[in-house]
Amino acid sequence: MRNLSIKNLSGPTGILAALVVLIVLFSLLNPRFASVENLQNVLFQVSVPLIIVVGTSLVIQMGSIDLSVEGVMGAAGMAWILLSPNTRLEGDIGVWAWFVALGLGLVLGLITGAIYAKLKVPSFVVSLGTWYVGLGIAILLYGNALLPSLTSEALARWPTQLTLGLPNCFWLAAVILAAGVFVSHYTKFGRGLMAIGNNEPIARSNGMPVDRYKIAAFAIAGTLCGLAGILATMQLGSGSPDIGFGQLFVVIPAAVIGGTALSGGEGGVIRSAIGVFLLIILNNGLVLAGVDPDYQSGVFGMILLIAVIAVAWPQRGRLKVAK
Amino acid sequence: MTQAYPPVLKLTRISRSFGKVKAVNNVSLQIDRGEVIGLTGENGAGKSTLLKILAGIERPDEGTMEINGKVANFRSPNDAFKAGVGVVHQEQSLFTNLSVAENIEQQNQSRMGLERFGFQNWKRINADAAAVLKKIGVNLDPKARVGDLSFVDRQMVEIARAVCVEPGGDGTPLIILDEPTAVLEQAEVEVLEREILKLKKFASVIFVSHRLDEVLRICDRVLVMRHGVLTSDRSTEGVTKDELFKAMVDDAPTVSTHARSSRPIELKPAIEVQGLTMKGKFRDISFAAYPGRITALVGTNGSGRGRIMRALFGAEEFDGGTIEVAGKPVHNWSIRKAVAAGLAYVPAERKVEGMIGGYSGTRNIALVHPGEAARGQILRPGKMAETAQSWFDRLDVNPNNIKQPLDQFSGGNQQKVVLAKWLNSSDLKVLMLDHPLRGLDVGVSQAVNAEIRKACDHGTAVILIPDTIEEALEMADEIIVLRDGQLSARHDLSVASDLAIKEIVAEMV
Repeated sequence: MRNLSIKNLSGPTGILAALVVLIVLFSLLNPRFASVENLQNVLFQVSVPLIIVVGTSLVIQMGSIDLSVEGVMGAAGMAWILLSPNTRLEGDIGVWAWFVALGLGLVLGLITGAIYAKLKVPSFVVSLGTWYVGLGIAILLYGNALLPSLTSEALARWPTQLTLGLPNCFWLAAVILAAGVFVSHYTKFGRGLMAIGNNEPIARSNGMPVDRYKIAAFAIAGTLCGLAGILATMQLGSGSPDIGFGQLFVVIPAAVIGGTALSGGEGGVIRSAIGVFLLIILNNGLVLAGVDPDYQSGVFGMILLIAVIAVAWPQRGRLKVAK
Repeated sequence: MTQAYPPVLKLTRISRSFGKVKAVNNVSLQIDRGEVIGLTGENGAGKSTLLKILAGIERPDEGTMEINGKVANFRSPNDAFKAGVGVVHQEQSLFTNLSVAENIEQQNQSRMGLERFGFQNWKRINADAAAVLKKIGVNLDPKARVGDLSFVDRQMVEIARAVCVEPGGDGTPLIILDEPTAVLEQAEVEVLEREILKLKKFASVIFVSHRLDEVLRICDRVLVMRHGVLTSDRSTEGVTKDELFKAMVDDAPTVSTHARSSRPIELKPAIEVQGLTMKGKFRDISFAAYPGRITALVGTNGSGRGRIMRALFGAEEFDGGTIEVAGKPVHNWSIRKAVAAGLAYVPAERKVEGMIGGYSGTRNIALVHPGEAARGQILRPGKMAETAQSWFDRLDVNPNNIKQPLDQFSGGNQQKVVLAKWLNSSDLKVLMLDHPLRGLDVGVSQAVNAEIRKACDHGTAVILIPDTIEEALEMADEIIVLRDGQLSARHDLSVASDLAIKEIVAEMV
C-alpha cells in the first residue's frame, strides 16, 4: 500500500513538475513563449502527435511496438487529399474521403496486427515493413504530378479555427485522448492489454482472447495514424508522402518519458500525452529561446537523453536488465 | 457431518501413464466435506500428475472421478473450475500490474448489463472481490496493486481466486494448494495455516507439501505417494514423521544431524565483513566465514540476509563497511571480481538467476568455470561434454542427458546442475547458497547437502541461507541470526550443541 501511493505518484508528478519547470524557464527566456498566440501554436503542434500516441500507448502497454506511424500517415493523408477538393481537380468524393483514408489506416494496422499475432513475427519488424508499405502507397498516389494542395478554404482553415478559445485540431485530439483513457480503463479490452503486457502466458491460460486483442490494438493504432495523417495534411494545406516525418521520434520517447515501459504492462494514455506536451513545448521553447537552428536537433536529442535517463533512474540496479 | 453430503472427491482406481512410466497407479481415495488432506511424497512420486488430473489439465487413462457426488470428466481446467475445483499452483500466476480485484475477476467472469459489451464494471468487480476476501477472512484492499503486496498476501489473492469456483447447488468447493509453503518464511507459514483453517468451514482442502511437520500440524489426514502408488492414507492423529518417511522412500535413510567436530579457528577467514551497511536494508554487519566451515545466516524474510549475501557476491551495492577476501580488502566490488576471487553464489530464484533454461546441462556447467573446456575465448566442445558428463554421473542427474535444455529438468535436477556449475572450479574459496533446498524433495536435498559438505571438506568456506532452522542446525558450524537488518545473535555450534529452535526464533523476531 505504501509503495502503491509513491509509485503511482512518482511517474506523473515527476513529469508534470518537469513540464512546469520548462514552461517557467521558457517564459523567462522569452516573454513571447507565454503569449496566447504561442500557446495556441503549441496546441496546434501537439494535436497530431497526441492522436498518434493514444494508439502507440495501447500497443506499448501490451508489450509490442508500432513503428509504422509515418508510413500509415503518408498513405492516409495522401489518399484523403486526392479524394478531397484539391489542385489536381479530380477525384473529390466529399466526406467519403475520410472513410477511405481511415479505412486505409485500419487495414494497414490490421495487417500488422494479424502478422504479429497469428504468424508470431515480432511487432518491431512487422511494423517496419508496414511503414514502408504505407510509404509506398503514398508515393504511388503522389505519382509524378505536383504535390496536391487543398482548394477548400473551409477544410484548410478548420484546424486553426478557434472553438472556446482553443484550436479545433486540439479539440479533436482531446476527444481521441478521452476515448483512449476510457478504453484503457473501462473496457475488458483495455484491461486485457495491460494483462497481456504483464504476463501473456497467464492471460492465455485465463481464456483471454489474446490474439484478437493484439490485432484490435494495432487496428486502433493504424486508424489513429490515418486520422493523424489527415489532420497533418489539413494543417499543412497540401499532401505529401512525408507528412508524418519526425512523428515517430516524438511519440515513442513521449510514451517512455511518460512512464509507459516498452516491456509492457505499465503506464497509460494520459502519461504518454503529458510526454508529448513536454517534447513539443521543449521544441517550441528552444526555437523561441533563440537556439541556433543548426543546433536545435542536437540540443533536442541531448535533452531527450537526459529525460529518459531521469525516467529510468529509479529502476536502475546492478542486475536489472534493459533491452 | 459426512452423512448429509456426498464425498467432495471420490477417486476410484485412477491411473495415468506416460510411455512406460505409470505416473499415477491405481489410486483410490475419498475426501469429505470440510476435511484438510495432506499430500506428500518425493519429487516424481506422482503428486503433480494426480493434481493435474484433478485440475483438468491431464485426463486419467482409467478409473472414475466423482466430485460432490457427480461423475467428472474434465476436458479443460475450466471444466474443473466449474465443477468446484480451485487450484493454487506452485508458481504464482497473477498479473502484478493489475489490482487485487482484477486478478480475482480473471476467474470469475460475469456477463451482466453493460459488461456483456466488454465494459469494465469497476464497482461490481471491487464489490465481488471484497466479498470473496471477506469470505476467506483476508484483510486486503481490492484496489491494491498485486505487485506491491508481500508474497504471502499474493498467495491469499491466489486462494481468493481459487475460492471463486462454482460447485453448484450445495456442493463443496475443493481447494488444492500445491506446495504453497515452499517459499514462505516461518511467520508467513503461520498466516497460511490460519487461512487453511478458515477455508475448512466451507471447503475441503488438499495441501501438498514436502514438509512433514506442517502436514502433521495442519491436516486431518495425510496421503503419501511413492512411484505413483498411494502408500499411506492415515489420520494425522497418532502418526509419526518416521512412519510417513518410511512410506515415502524405499529404504528410510537416517536423518543425519550436525555431526562435525569442532575445527581449529586459527585458520584465516576466506571472507570477512566489517560493519557492512546498506541504508534502509542492513547495517553494521560483521562476521567471517572460514575454510571448511559452514556459516548459516538465519532470519525472517525482511531481515536482510539475502541482500547481505548478494552484497558479498557483488550483486548488490552497499554504502558502508568493508569486505575482505583472503585477507585483502576489496574495492569497487562486482560480480566479475567476486567470481575471479573464487566466490560462488547459488541464488534462491533458481529459474530466473541461477541457470539459462534454454541451454543444455553442458553449456550451463561451462558457463563460469570452464576450466579445461576453454582456451581463452575458444571453447572445446569435447572437453565441455566430458566435464558435464562427469558431473551428471557424480550428482546422479536424472535424466542423464547432458544435451537436454535445462528447463526441461525437474527443479531438483536443475539445482544439481546449478551447483555443478560452481563446483567445477578447482579453486572455490567461498560457496554461498540462498535457499539451496527450496522445492527439493528429501532425496535430492540429501544429495545437495552432501555436495555442500564435500566442498566444505575440500576447504571451501560455505555461507548458507537455509529454508528452516532445522536445516541450519543440521548443516552449520556457526549460526548468525539477523533481525531487521542487524545481527542479533551468533552461535558457534561446535561449542553450544544443545541449541533449541525456539531460542533462535526468539532472536529472529
